[in-house]
Amino acid sequence: MRALAEYLAASWQLSPLGRELLSAGLILLTAIVVFAVALLIAALLTWLERRVAGRVQSRVGPNRVGPLGLLQWLADGLKMILKEDVVPAAADRPLFLLAPYPVMIGVFAAFATVPFSQLLIAADLDVGVLYLIAVTSLVVVGILMAGWGSNNKWSLLGGIRSAAQIVAYEVPAALALLSVVVMAGTLSLQSIVAAQGGWPWEWYLLRTPFGFVAFFIYFTAAVAEGNRTPFDLPEAESELVAGYNTEYSGIRFGGFFLGEFANIYLMSAIASALFFGGWQIPGVTPAEQVGSVWWQALGFLVFVAKAGVGCLVVILLRWTFPRLRVDQLTALCYRYLAPGAFLCLVGNALWIVLVPAGSLFERMVGYGMTAVAAALGLWFVLRMRRHMVSTGDRLDLDLFARGHTRAAFDPAWQARAYGRFRRRRPGEAS
Amino acid sequence: MSAAREYFAAIRRAVFSLADGLSVTVSYLLRRPVTIQYPDRTAQPVQRLLPERSRGLLEVDVERCTACGLCAKTCPIDCIVVETGKDAAGARLHTRMDVDLGRCMFCGLCVEACPTGAIRHSREFEGGMARVENLLVRFLDAPRPPAKPPKKGEEPPEKPAGSIIRSRLPGAFAPARRCAGGPDAKPGGAA
Amino acid sequence: MSEIVETAGREELILNMGPHHPSTHGVLRFVLHTDGEIMRLARPDIGYLHRGLEKLAEGQSYPGYLPFCDRVNYLEGIFCEQAYAMAVERLLKIEVPPRAEALRTITAELNRIANHHICLGCISMDIGAYTPFVYLLRERERINDLMEALCGNRLTYHYLRLGGVAHDADDAWLKNALAFVDKFERVIPEFESLIGKNEILVRRLAGVASICGADAVAYGLVGPNLRASGVDWDLRRDAPYSFYPRLSFEVPVGKGERGTVGDCYDRFLVRVEEMRQSCRLVRQAIEKLPAGDIRAKVPRVLKIPAGETYACVEGARGELGVYLVSDGSDKPYRLKWRTGSFAAMSIIETVSRGLMIADLVALIASLDVIAPETDR
Repeated sequence: MRALAEYLAASWQLSPLGRELLSAGLILLTAIVVFAVALLIAALLTWLERRVAGRVQSRVGPNRVGPLGLLQWLADGLKMILKEDVVPAAADRPLFLLAPYPVMIGVFAAFATVPFSQLLIAADLDVGVLYLIAVTSLVVVGILMAGWGSNNKWSLLGGIRSAAQIVAYEVPAALALLSVVVMAGTLSLQSIVAAQGGWPWEWYLLRTPFGFVAFFIYFTAAVAEGNRTPFDLPEAESELVAGYNTEYSGIRFGGFFLGEFANIYLMSAIASALFFGGWQIPGVTPAEQVGSVWWQALGFLVFVAKAGVGCLVVILLRWTFPRLRVDQLTALCYRYLAPGAFLCLVGNALWIVLVPAGSLFERMVGYGMTAVAAALGLWFVLRMRRHMVSTGDRLDLDLFARGHTRAAFDPAWQARAYGRFRRRRPGEAS
Repeated sequence: MSAAREYFAAIRRAVFSLADGLSVTVSYLLRRPVTIQYPDRTAQPVQRLLPERSRGLLEVDVERCTACGLCAKTCPIDCIVVETGKDAAGARLHTRMDVDLGRCMFCGLCVEACPTGAIRHSREFEGGMARVENLLVRFLDAPRPPAKPPKKGEEPPEKPAGSIIRSRLPGAFAPARRCAGGPDAKPGGAA
Repeated sequence: MSEIVETAGREELILNMGPHHPSTHGVLRFVLHTDGEIMRLARPDIGYLHRGLEKLAEGQSYPGYLPFCDRVNYLEGIFCEQAYAMAVERLLKIEVPPRAEALRTITAELNRIANHHICLGCISMDIGAYTPFVYLLRERERINDLMEALCGNRLTYHYLRLGGVAHDADDAWLKNALAFVDKFERVIPEFESLIGKNEILVRRLAGVASICGADAVAYGLVGPNLRASGVDWDLRRDAPYSFYPRLSFEVPVGKGERGTVGDCYDRFLVRVEEMRQSCRLVRQAIEKLPAGDIRAKVPRVLKIPAGETYACVEGARGELGVYLVSDGSDKPYRLKWRTGSFAAMSIIETVSRGLMIADLVALIASLDVIAPETDR
């Protein structure tokens, strides 16, 4: 970005003031683009969530607005904008009105450092990871504001739960990320991605056993920070009605909603960049990638696909697991995740010191870890198959199936039962 | 030592039981949904998807009705009104046959009581109305002499199910619905 | 936050849960006194769904009250009908034909499975898992289809008649019922994989809100709630009625699998096992289905000799009883329902002290209390 500004300034021969205005304009433009992209991603994720939830629950999901219901988010957004924005009479008005903004700012500002491809990044900060951790903490401020400002006891409980939860889970999340930072020796997300490779055994996920554990700890903590099931205590529907956003309606509710979904993508993107090699393509070095537009495009797709799988997993988690209790939530964090993350950090630090880079041992561990991960994946697929076979259901790869068109009884019975109306006397044998 | 063992056993239990649960939901991504997309994407009109005993809206065939009033007597919530009068010549006249479908609880006792099969359940159920008063259905337009109890084997032909209530509740039922097999698809047709 | 009251040096927040709240199952209200997340008191407030079903009986003819029985508890219509029908039949001294008894048993057990679907689904949903609820509803839909084909209605069945049942089941229906049972027995392990053995669910339920056997008896808990507390009592076996003496089944009892005896997880497990046993019962009853009439001769206008009786069945929530007084006319003089939910509701205040708000939700769901049955 800075290079572009300097190039334009030089070619247009701008005065110093003109240069300042130009770079300010470019920053504003970038901000708008990032915001728009993040909003679009969040909106599409709402569609994905509902569609996946539908299929997981043997339903069809949205299918009326646009092909496959793809424009459902547009209809929902329109509905939210048109709805009345109710402010309760007893609410703390300024707090109530402002609460969605920190949530949105916290999530959307973090998108500035997401490395969509080698060149496609709004701001490759030298302190990228720290910036991410810092900026996403803003979310809790917004949720607390909403919880207190609504002047509703359920909201208050939700807000308090959220504060306890997000503050607690910052610790393991940050420690898990740091264990990668230690390996890469840099806080810049681009450099961290560049330090990995395209093949699975070159990812930080599978390079060391600690990275593997750190990923799961980060993922769990990130899900918790995003208030998603099984950690959706702040809005726990069956306990707190809707938690901190009980009193919200219309577009202000939409703000929380979009923030939540943008956050899903954000956490998957971070995981993909830090643990899964980001935009790296197997067999292509970063140096080769710089020159070619096609490699760039492919790298972008690879990154989006990795992050997309992450989003899918987060969505599936929500539709599978029950919710933890408050005490169990904090116990999980302080008893299991925080010590685990700390161990991973120490483990990776020792690894750097003890195992020479590029040594045979390091490569063998990478291959071994990849084999372990593949074995776990196979176990999972076999479990899936077992469930499917045992209930007598058949594999159906038509992901956009529209469901059945008639009742699921046996045809012979159906033909009889659904035939012409004929009155029977009670007790008469049929 | 046992505390440490319990610590790791808890982690293992949690990881494997959660992964197993996840494998069930993921496997459903690859199974066919069971939804029937009521109302407009069914193989047959919805009424035909219902079993024949299904107790839908009541309908009265006044040409079979003997105006005996047994249905009104058995109805636990008195939603049926049967009235008779006399014409100028002193012959019995059936003057009123009302069913308040807004109050009916679809128990079917009136249908069991009816000796001629004049009152019966149709398989119609989409009787939604803007005003509940409109659900009071008058099956008799003008006074008419009640039907005679038919002799065995001489029963009058039955009207097609649902045809009476459809004509009596105008506006409640959508016209022929779009459905995958066409409005007159044969039962048991391909899904 | 105006209603923070000072009690014994501790600040308590009075929280009004319901009558409209996602997990109060109908319209129930709880007044919670909480200290942060921990409850000092949860006082149930019932009566929001009172429809006067007992008083209504006094104005109805004996057969005319049967459809109302379905409305006592919309989830276990057959049991309510059966309890009422048994009371009337006892006063009338009519013998119900064996085929009718078998059909009553088949539909009752299908009804029990459908009821437990809702209960287990609600437990999962109230602690945050939506999908198991949907899966169970999907299976329940098949039961509803079966019931609609046999009785004519999906929920308010009105299948029983005084002295028998309304319709006979043909071979195709019986085949379908067997097919459902076969399929459903294979869905139960999947359900257990998905949620029953899920560590989060276990942690949320095990050891939470334990009710010891003595307490359960003292508060008059019945059915699965009583058995989960370790009291081995089932009317189908211990006071046999209808077709049950000819069938063999086991009565599951809470063992404190992962926590203490009588905790929420035991109540969960007992119901899962009861669904298995119900499948067994349906299969056996279909195999042993006798031929013959489905209705005893009963006069159209019923006048019942003066007297009183109490008849009870083992409903999905335990003993479901009808106390009926007749004065010799064609209408009941007095009718009283004894329902499991009412007793279960009374124990909540005692058990819930010191639990967390999230536990209360699990407790209500696991006791399977349902507002219409409590209020009648």
